[in-house]
Amino acid sequence: MVQSAQFAHSLEGWFGFLPLWGWAAISAFIVIYFLALPFGGLATYIERKIAADMQDRIGPNRVGPIGLFQFAADAIKMLSKEDFIPKGGDRFLFNLAPLFVVVGSCTAFAVLPLSKYLIGADVNIGVIFILAVTTLIAPGLLLGSWASENKWSLLGGLRAASQIVSYEIPVALSILPVVLISGSLQIGTIVEQQGWTVFGENPATYHFWNAFHNPFTFFSMFLLFVGGLAETNRIPFDLPEAESELVSGFNTEFSGMRFGLYALGEFCDVFVMSAMVTALFLGGWHIPFLDIEKLGFALPTGLVAFIQFHVFMIKTLLVVFVVMWLRWTLPRLRVDQLMGMCWKGLLPLAFFNVLGTALWMWAFKGQSLMQLLMGHG
Amino acid sequence: MNKVLLLAQILTVASAIVVGFHPNILYASVFLLFTFCGVAVMFLYAGADFLAGAQVIIYVGGVTILILFAIMLTQWLYKIKLADIRNKMVLPGVLATIIGAFLYRALHQMVLSLPPQTPEALEKFSTTPKTALIGQALLGSYLLPFEAITILLLGAMVGAVWLARPE
Repeated sequence: MVQSAQFAHSLEGWFGFLPLWGWAAISAFIVIYFLALPFGGLATYIERKIAADMQDRIGPNRVGPIGLFQFAADAIKMLSKEDFIPKGGDRFLFNLAPLFVVVGSCTAFAVLPLSKYLIGADVNIGVIFILAVTTLIAPGLLLGSWASENKWSLLGGLRAASQIVSYEIPVALSILPVVLISGSLQIGTIVEQQGWTVFGENPATYHFWNAFHNPFTFFSMFLLFVGGLAETNRIPFDLPEAESELVSGFNTEFSGMRFGLYALGEFCDVFVMSAMVTALFLGGWHIPFLDIEKLGFALPTGLVAFIQFHVFMIKTLLVVFVVMWLRWTLPRLRVDQLMGMCWKGLLPLAFFNVLGTALWMWAFKGQSLMQLLMGHG
Repeated sequence: MNKVLLLAQILTVASAIVVGFHPNILYASVFLLFTFCGVAVMFLYAGADFLAGAQVIIYVGGVTILILFAIMLTQWLYKIKLADIRNKMVLPGVLATIIGAFLYRALHQMVLSLPPQTPEALEKFSTTPKTALIGQALLGSYLLPFEAITILLLGAMVGAVWLARPE
């Protein structure tokens, strides 16, 4: 069963005076209001700034220093908009659908390993948990598009759902090599094993970043990234909201804060996807070749958590930057190209990677490339 | 009794009732999604952590989407109201009652045949991780049924591709 809410457990241990579910609610509040929402807000600003840089423009620069508070202005604008529901639309589903998207992407934040000492809940099915809760996004897009009573919306929603359902398979299969290597679905364990230090002896379970464990995992990382791009409906896979064909796709009829929730859910989903790439393949909170807990002197746990959190965030935001960079680099795919790429391209490659990793594990007794080269383990 | 488990059970049963009796088939399938989520939480409290995750991935992410697709792409399916088919509900009703009674009896007998458990043993059972055990069972003592099912699924896949090929 779940090792329920470690963060809440430690809060209860430090402060007491509230039952565990109270602390669990508070930690969920902290995760959503101090991590998911600010990221979603700032990401819209940063995306526009990056877009502006790539197109040789200035971008938002009026609200606050260098336009930093633009997202707050956007939020106020959205909140003050008319609460509009199309006349022939389905009121109940129209209200419900954005919630699916937000719940799906924000719940995944609970198991993201921000640091060794800062995981909302290090559940033992962590990887499956992320895959499971993010599937809630697809019904959200599909129902929202149906409830809008709009052809373009419906087309966008159908595209989104079929795309997400298809690309889920290569994504899950590209995670499988990592599970083979670490023998665990617990994200904390998977990240912990990716440590490596040049000083002193490394435990036999430490094998540097999973991306460099063997050639197959290196390709798996790119498969996960590409599949994640498609699952989050980002360019070059943004067919569900292709402006030139479908006005704005599944969210055409949504205005005000409901549109805001869709946008927020999408950005949170991008963050979750990038954090997955970071945690599973890029070593998570580890600084390469340096273990800050084995320096010879002990750092306070708070400082270790602080440093690890920043390392994790830097890696994740670099992946997010690549996502935004691709937006202004690649053209959009056609529908048939999209499906062909999934079923004829990514899927066989993912199978090949799983088989290759299994062979590697058998041939080298589970040692990574690093362990073979350096003779540790 | 655990409050979260109680909430999940209420969610499951209430949504199942809506699924059965809502006149609009789209709403019925949306509430089917909530039923699946409630069942996943119940799995979690029974100690079947991996099964809970698989339940959400397969039933919420796969089956519900498939049902929604079928409803949205079939004109006449969406227009059928419960009142239109009321006189055709006798045979399905009888069949459903028989199958339900049979399932209830089988489950009841299975529960009775289990050796009595102490609360501590149940607590220990529900907190041990099951993923590795499931994997070892599938590739160990249940290898033959597992392989047979994979061949069956492969056959289904080939059949689906054959049906969907353009001509």
